[in-house]
Amino acid sequence: MPLPSTNLADRTGGLLESHKGYDPRIVFFYFILAALLLTLAGGLGYQQLSQAGRHNDAERQQNQRRILMPGPRGDIYDRNNKLLVGNNHRFSVLLHLDELKAELRREHVRIRKNYLATGGKDDLPKYSELEQISRVTLVQRYLDQTNAILHRAEKVDARALRRHFDRQLLLPYPLLDGLGDEDTAKLLEHLPVASPLQVYAATTRSYPYGSAAAHTLGYVRPDEEIDAEDFPGDGLTTFKMKGTSGRDGLEKTFDARLQGQAGGRIYRVDPAGYKINPPLETRLPKRGQELVTSLDIDLQLAAEEALGDQRGAVATLDVATGEVLVLASKPDYDLNEFSPRATTAAVAKMNETGAWNNLALNGFYPPGSTFKILTSIAGLRRGVLTPVDPIVNCDGWLQIGGRRAPCYNGIGHHHEILLAEAVAQSCDIYFYSAGLLIKPENIAAEARRFRLDQRTQIELPGEQGRMVVPEPAQRVREQGEKWFDGDTANMAIGQGEVLVSPLQMACFVASVARNETTTLPTLLHQADRPTQHTEPIGLSPAQRAALLDGMVGCVTHGTAKHLNTIAGYRIPGVQIAGKTGTAQKRVVMDGKLGTINYAWFICFAPADKPEIAMAVMIEGQTIGEELGGGLAAAPVAAQVLKKYFEKRNHPNRPLLPPFRVP
Amino acid sequence: MPFKRLDQSRPFVTLGLALAVWLLIPIGVKTFIRASFFELTAPITMTASYARDLQEYWGLRLHSNRELIEAGRDLARLNASYELSVQQNSELQAEIARLESLLRLPSFTEYRYEHARVARRDFSGWWQRIVIRKGRNFGIPVGAPVIFTGGVVGRVSEVHGLTAVVELISSPEVRLAGVVEGDSRPISFQGGINPTFGPPSGVVEFVPLDIVANRNFPKRLVTSGLGGVFPPGLTLGVITRLELSPDALFQAGEVKLDERLGSLTEVTVLVPLNPE
Repeated sequence: MPLPSTNLADRTGGLLESHKGYDPRIVFFYFILAALLLTLAGGLGYQQLSQAGRHNDAERQQNQRRILMPGPRGDIYDRNNKLLVGNNHRFSVLLHLDELKAELRREHVRIRKNYLATGGKDDLPKYSELEQISRVTLVQRYLDQTNAILHRAEKVDARALRRHFDRQLLLPYPLLDGLGDEDTAKLLEHLPVASPLQVYAATTRSYPYGSAAAHTLGYVRPDEEIDAEDFPGDGLTTFKMKGTSGRDGLEKTFDARLQGQAGGRIYRVDPAGYKINPPLETRLPKRGQELVTSLDIDLQLAAEEALGDQRGAVATLDVATGEVLVLASKPDYDLNEFSPRATTAAVAKMNETGAWNNLALNGFYPPGSTFKILTSIAGLRRGVLTPVDPIVNCDGWLQIGGRRAPCYNGIGHHHEILLAEAVAQSCDIYFYSAGLLIKPENIAAEARRFRLDQRTQIELPGEQGRMVVPEPAQRVREQGEKWFDGDTANMAIGQGEVLVSPLQMACFVASVARNETTTLPTLLHQADRPTQHTEPIGLSPAQRAALLDGMVGCVTHGTAKHLNTIAGYRIPGVQIAGKTGTAQKRVVMDGKLGTINYAWFICFAPADKPEIAMAVMIEGQTIGEELGGGLAAAPVAAQVLKKYFEKRNHPNRPLLPPFRVP
Repeated sequence: MPFKRLDQSRPFVTLGLALAVWLLIPIGVKTFIRASFFELTAPITMTASYARDLQEYWGLRLHSNRELIEAGRDLARLNASYELSVQQNSELQAEIARLESLLRLPSFTEYRYEHARVARRDFSGWWQRIVIRKGRNFGIPVGAPVIFTGGVVGRVSEVHGLTAVVELISSPEVRLAGVVEGDSRPISFQGGINPTFGPPSGVVEFVPLDIVANRNFPKRLVTSGLGGVFPPGLTLGVITRLELSPDALFQAGEVKLDERLGSLTEVTVLVPLNPE
């Protein structure tokens, strides 16, 4: 029997509904759903396809860490390939924190239990505090292992440890540094091979000659700014092991060249930041390039030994090339005290003695009578002075304006004197007169011609521009003061406002030796460096002969005659052309006004075929101290010259016993 | 059918259970079991060793009188030269003692010599060690240096009642401070990764740059005495290869060890008289 056709909805009392066709409202929701799904799919596609690189980077950023290790610095040598600055090892014990993860967790649990057992929950420190306590306890336990081996009682620096955990978790923590050979040997034998404690050798700068050429060589300081060129992982969180960077001297100027190429490793890390071995990427560090300087360490040591405890400087150049053979400045400091870092006591001592100052480069002094060479050249070139005409009768005094100026070098003895003898005897009266005849503008112009108003451009950082070549017009313009004849006379003998550095004077005398006006000094040695050729001075042969006669006479019978009369200073077969100078400066010392002396000696040798040129300056220490160029500065130059010619004449004879600072 | 499969997998289940039980046993119990195992197997090892000695003894008995006389004569000559060395050594020891007292230097650790027969040798990619026939019963401590006529053998790593295990210097687990003969700067020596039947070798690190060594001109590596474990001057091996380390501060290289390490029958344990 067929069922009667009935509406189900009626029978179920509305519990069952029937729909016919599509309800427009439902269709609307289909669209919304489709739109949502499309948005979702689009977003997914966008993130997966177009943003894949960004997500990769983010993942790497989160999961990978980069460690950069500095390359060892290159060595520095003297012109004869003697090592001046090298690298030395420094043994230390490092604790690899990444291997302590499980142990640290156990320690944390143990300490927490102890707290709970003894003081209950109220006394329980915060999680971060517990973590720090467990770190210190665990690291101290490892330190105690080394203490037991080395019979020490070292303690963990909790603050340094916290800092290390926060910032450099991937790097091993240095427990003990600067270990000696015996301690290193003990640790090698007693520490288990698989221990998280390991002996590590780091590099430090070593200076075999201690304080020799300290200002020129410069020093380095620890630095975390490692440049890891083309090592991948720029965007990754990076940990840098400490390297060094040059802070003074050649170490600073040639820092880029001496710096080694940094190496590095990229590790995958777990969520707590501990590294997972092996590294994903490794590049070994490479040593920096070598630097061969123009310095001759034998001459440098001779100069420094001759200076002794005096405050002064020596600058010596190769006449032909301008290569600097010696650049000494006293007081100085032992470079090994900077390695690995200078102690507070060492810095305080340097501050007290003024050892930081490179007097050869940045000590500016009145040149005294050594300036008479320049005055002579100015006069000869302008025809005011001639080799054969006496311009004045030296009776020990000269009336200049309202003042009687004395001849400081042999009052009453010079009488009628020619240029050569005036140079040899350093007659002030002659050069007062010469200055007045030449005019100050011309002397200043001559000084500028020899670049005495400019920096030498040597490859050292921080060369100051405090040199002064005074000029009447400039004084009137800048200071509003008049220029007097007395100023001209003072300028002619290198007094008054003239200020030059020892290196400038060395360049000047090297130029005179070559009969040219400019010598550009360099600290880099090049075996085939060509001879410098600059503008000739412009003296006739007779004029030059007279000037050289005067300079040679200075050494044979003049103000530097000790170099000839004292056997210890004499160099057989070598004629030296030189000029002494003793400048005065009024100073206030210990609340007392007075004059201190600066002793100068400039020279070149051999006089007929110059090879080496030098300027020596020694500063007086006390007011009124008798200090003359001939007695104080010339002997220093003699020691250096002696060593130079000894080496030149006997190239294979060992001059100095090789020594190393332990 | 499923029951049959379960029955077949019984060995694996048992093995799994045994492993699980071993994992759950406290460390103290495990250590005890391990030590007991050594003590239990020690008599077997020693018996085998004694049997080998007996075998060698009877082997030697077969030599003719003539051979024995020749061997006796050679031995007498050798003894004479050793006597001379002993006298010279005494002289040198006295000189060292005099200099030490003059310079107020701490003297090196003094040792008691304990000679021991080798009971077993384990040479494989995993182990580089020997078992000797003396242990706690002769006062041998863990860490004591072990030597033989060719130089250093290794260090005692485990001591049992009647036996002791010596980790050979060819094992990567052994590291000590050596010096190149004639030099005083310490070098790190460590056993290398040695194949089962290959010649024993080790590696050196922290070798100063001025030391030159290669196959044609090898340098003898000896103990430094600085580490406090080994007395100075004992041969470790010869450095046959050196190359610049990446930091260019030192050299690292290879050390060829004495091949007799693989056939040792008798060694001497240096027992410190005043252990720290």
